[in-house]
Amino acid sequence: MENMSEEDRQRILESTPIGTFALMSIVIGGMVIAWLFLYYGVFLPRG
Amino acid sequence: MSFEAKKQQSIQFLQTFFIQLRALHVDRLERKWIALSLGIIGLFVGIITLDALFHGVNPPSKVETIDSARLHLSQEFAENNLGVQVDDRGQIVIRMVAGRYSFFPKQIEVPAETPLTFRWVSMDVLHGVHIPMTNMSTMIVPGYVAEVHTTFPKPGDYPLLCNEYCGLGHNHMWSNVSVIAKEDWQAPVLASVKKGANNE
Repeated sequence: MENMSEEDRQRILESTPIGTFALMSIVIGGMVIAWLFLYYGVFLPRG
Repeated sequence: MSFEAKKQQSIQFLQTFFIQLRALHVDRLERKWIALSLGIIGLFVGIITLDALFHGVNPPSKVETIDSARLHLSQEFAENNLGVQVDDRGQIVIRMVAGRYSFFPKQIEVPAETPLTFRWVSMDVLHGVHIPMTNMSTMIVPGYVAEVHTTFPKPGDYPLLCNEYCGLGHNHMWSNVSVIAKEDWQAPVLASVKKGANNE
């Protein structure tokens, strides 16, 4: 990290935050799936 | 200030507000998070709304009144007419009274996988009733009959719980319902079924 050039630093700063998007997709996808499971699998079968 | 002046002031305020809102800097990533959050909320609300539309789910609109102070003198909710009954059309109707601090009758037996109609009245204050793991849940407002149509899918013993604070004994206000397999349930025999006007 200490040997990083200024160009590399700028490239990293300006690049797309792929990790953040991956985390975002996992969290949101998980929440949606969990909600759908609870709604269609638990709530609606109870009448 | 006249109405026109107030109207102009409100319009001016709204215009200033939206100009300042658009000028706010929101990071690109934050915009994405906000959009996804709002999208999820919209998806959930949309699913619930469409389901409600297709299954005909709506708030009850029937308003049926009763004199809560004179239930014992009414035909329908007199003590010997409470509990589970089968009416002339073969429909199962359960008449219950909520009062501090129990639901009467305290123990009822109903069949599973069968359409049931619960008719609830309160003999004193506001109560709420909920049977866990089912959709039998309603407020019981003094002066009104609360009617709930439901079906219990699974046999078992369930409590009837009061979920609206009604006094010092509220946390002890509960009774029991046994849901029995449809083929094992037998309709109770009553001397006469009184389902007439409930406000006599």
